[in-house]
Amino acid sequence: MALLEVRGVTAGYGDTEILRNISMEVGEREIVSIIGPNGAGKSTLMKTIFGLLHPREGSVVFDGHDISRLQPYQIVERGMCYVPQVANVFTDLTVSENLEMGAFLAKTNDIAARMERIYEYFPRLKERRNQRAGKMSGGERQMVAMGSALMLDPKLVLMDEPSAGLSPKMVGVIFDQIRKINEAGPAILIVEQNAKLSLEMSDRGYVLASGENRFEGTGKELLNDPEVGRLYLGG
Amino acid sequence: MNGADLARAAFLFLPLVLLGLLVLPGRTALRVPLALIAAAVVALALPLLLPRGVLTYLASFSTMAGIYAILCLGLNSQWGLTGHVNFGIAGFFSIGAFTSALFTTTMPQGALAAYSQQLFGLGWPFMAGILMAGVVAAAAGFLVSIPVLRLRTDFLAIATLGIAEVIRFIFQNERWLANGPQPMRGIPRPFDCVFADPACSWLPAGVARWVAPLAPRDYVFLYLVIVALILAVVFLLLERISRSPWGRLQRAIRDEENSAAMYGKNVTLRRIESFVLGSFIMGVAGAVYAHYVVSIDYSHFNPLFATFIVWVMVMLGGSGNNKGAILGAFAVWGVWSGAAFVIDVLSPALQAISPDLPSRGAYLRWMLVALLLGLIVLFRPQGIIQERKKVSDFISDGRS
Amino acid sequence: MAEIVQNAPERSDDRTARERMMAALRSRTALGLALLLTLAVFWLLGQQQGATLSEMLSLTVWGVMLGGIIALGAIGLTLVYGVLKFPNFAHGELVTLGAYGALTFAAVLPMGPPMLPFSFGWELVAALILTMPAVSLIALAVDRVLFRPLRKRVASLVLFAMASLAAAFFLRSAIYLVWGSDFLFYYPGRANPAIDFPLDIRVQADQLFVFGLAVVLVILTWFLLERTRMGKAMRATANNPDLAQVRGINTERVIAWTWILGASLAAAGGVMYGLASQLRPEMGFWLLLPMFAAAIVGGLGSPVGAIAGAIIIGVAQQVSSAFLNPAYGPGVAFILLVIVLVLQPQGLFGQGGE
Repeated sequence: MALLEVRGVTAGYGDTEILRNISMEVGEREIVSIIGPNGAGKSTLMKTIFGLLHPREGSVVFDGHDISRLQPYQIVERGMCYVPQVANVFTDLTVSENLEMGAFLAKTNDIAARMERIYEYFPRLKERRNQRAGKMSGGERQMVAMGSALMLDPKLVLMDEPSAGLSPKMVGVIFDQIRKINEAGPAILIVEQNAKLSLEMSDRGYVLASGENRFEGTGKELLNDPEVGRLYLGG
Repeated sequence: MNGADLARAAFLFLPLVLLGLLVLPGRTALRVPLALIAAAVVALALPLLLPRGVLTYLASFSTMAGIYAILCLGLNSQWGLTGHVNFGIAGFFSIGAFTSALFTTTMPQGALAAYSQQLFGLGWPFMAGILMAGVVAAAAGFLVSIPVLRLRTDFLAIATLGIAEVIRFIFQNERWLANGPQPMRGIPRPFDCVFADPACSWLPAGVARWVAPLAPRDYVFLYLVIVALILAVVFLLLERISRSPWGRLQRAIRDEENSAAMYGKNVTLRRIESFVLGSFIMGVAGAVYAHYVVSIDYSHFNPLFATFIVWVMVMLGGSGNNKGAILGAFAVWGVWSGAAFVIDVLSPALQAISPDLPSRGAYLRWMLVALLLGLIVLFRPQGIIQERKKVSDFISDGRS
Repeated sequence: MAEIVQNAPERSDDRTARERMMAALRSRTALGLALLLTLAVFWLLGQQQGATLSEMLSLTVWGVMLGGIIALGAIGLTLVYGVLKFPNFAHGELVTLGAYGALTFAAVLPMGPPMLPFSFGWELVAALILTMPAVSLIALAVDRVLFRPLRKRVASLVLFAMASLAAAFFLRSAIYLVWGSDFLFYYPGRANPAIDFPLDIRVQADQLFVFGLAVVLVILTWFLLERTRMGKAMRATANNPDLAQVRGINTERVIAWTWILGASLAAAGGVMYGLASQLRPEMGFWLLLPMFAAAIVGGLGSPVGAIAGAIIIGVAQQVSSAFLNPAYGPGVAFILLVIVLVLQPQGLFGQGGE
């Protein structure tokens, strides 16, 4: 059984339905991308998986347990972390305090050791560890956000558009790190606008449009599929 | 049915007609005759059914409730119409009361002057006092609104609370203004000579004969008529305003703050206008209060009696809703007054718990009113009567 | 290392951030200067009314002490504002409850001799320590009954404000019911010796204790907020409650601890205030306006700001009593509040954006 299984999920806000009968899965240690046009429901899917939204139909199963009705902090306890797209750092707290908050639920007393591991991924953070996160550049903030999500050694990390607002050089740096992070442990589920870059490093991908599954396949398959390319890989 | 009862019934007729017109459903053509008939019946029945003490109590209850209803209408034209959270009602209430007192009393002479000071005393008639009260309160509202209305909701609430406190301090400490902290006494009651013996010289003989059986303590029946009339005028005025283009613009500003902001300066002006209107009405209510109780001092206008309870009334009746404001006033004042009876009855039980308790009974009533507001906020924030159109975004409880 | 920004409204490059910071700093300095100017004007007015230098200095010193008391309440108020995002109009009643609670606790404890040079005995200190958790429990109960259901429903700010107003009057009625409306003293009739300082300043020993305790509590609070995990979680939740949830922070627990901290400080402030003057049921409400003023002057959500604001307000209130009727104290606080709201609502240490 896969690490994460989304089975026939229908979800939305208020009276509207954004996702219709979505199914997908993420295996252990995989990198999976979700791409698609704006408004396809990619962010909504992520929020539903993470418990910020509850599915109306269908279920979300993580590590063998149904987490459809759980609160985010309970999901974090089970080993899934989330990097939101915006407002993803505590601007008033320093870098190290941000990371500490990432480990709020840690049962062990080795916060310092965990932080060292994060600093290995992002050496620049170590230099700036006492700086207020609000004063950092976009790329550095993204590092803090991702680092915070990794503090608890999650099995799965959800990333919502990690490249948004970053310079091309920064995007390259971030994606390199994502690859390295995946090699060391967790599965990663990425929602991305920059489909090409994302698919290049993904094991598998799903294309969402209008709240429904459209295409799926391995990263390479999707990259080379002419129809996908025409419709969605413009950027 | 003796002459006194008939006279009282006559006084009760008009307020009852107005009440009927407010509450009865249906088209105007039907409501008016229905209200007239029902009022006549009830007016005649009440003195027959109720002992005189009870009837008098009912009249004074309705008078106070009516004064609060005017206050509620004032708050409603700020909060219900434009969404201003005014926690400083007490300030405008007190300004209206003291202004009317100053304009309608005369400067104390001779020996009295040693005990009582006031800024001025023009001895003007009642209606002039009411009007000036409204004008001065409106002016105060205008001055206040310039720095304060741009603030976001919570800051506005805090600022208005502060303003009311400052106003109260001034009335409490500035002797030369209104005899603070001593009360200002002798505020004239309009038409009270009607109940004197002999009655006013300008009364036609027929009328004088007819009110002859009434005593000065029946004055409340006359004042009830006055309050009912003022309340009716304010209500009709506000209903008219609320349906006007100006009123619709105010509601638009309340509901869609962001897009209305595109109008720029005009929005601020509109908001000031609604605040000033509400202040005017609150001032009028203050004046009506002053002439009823005859003697006022700063302690009458503490936040408990003069701000908090008004909010409970408006929230209960339904924000944004003039009819609801009036009904809310009567309902909460009913709770307050009813609680007094209940606590009287419970007095021996209270005595058993602690000998100090019965004398502190008033605070039990406050607890009750506070509980009532808590319940409203938790279970029915939109109030009993909902606004006919969309319920205000400001009181969204997330459920609708 | 210049980084080009692509269309992202939430992220900013270094230069714009620096520019924004400069602008904020500029207006913040302007605010600080405006406040200092106001204090200077007060000082001058006082001297014009004939107050001597030593009298003015005494007033200033007493103002700092009053500021300590206000600060204890204002810190709690600003924390609640930061974490729970609404103005708690019932905070004054927590102050009053602290004072009266200590009165009752002290009454049941065996009375000891006064601890010279102070006017109180050990029983008041014990009562202070007991009243803090007691008031915290009351605050937690009010939160559970009133604010938590509103949170679940994502109710509007106005409803929270109304609810806190209802709680305020409920608690105040309860205080009147239990203790009555008379003015009470911790130690009626007991002498309160004053200590002479250079420059002819006289300070009561009790007032020094009040100030000292306020300092100690403030330091403890700082330690809690800066060095403990729960404290950092409180700051994080105040900064970004959604992200706090995402990071797994149990926001309800954070809220509970915020109430405990805020209520404990308020209760301590109440005892201090009762010791320095007297106990009356309106005492907390009398402090409410200065507390709000201090919190807003200092910048909502910032405990450091609340302390700075409180000292400014305290000094302003005391110094202004040289030329104004002392009863107008809260009125002075109010004027400073309006100055801040008109010039720079973020306050001295407020965050640039929420």
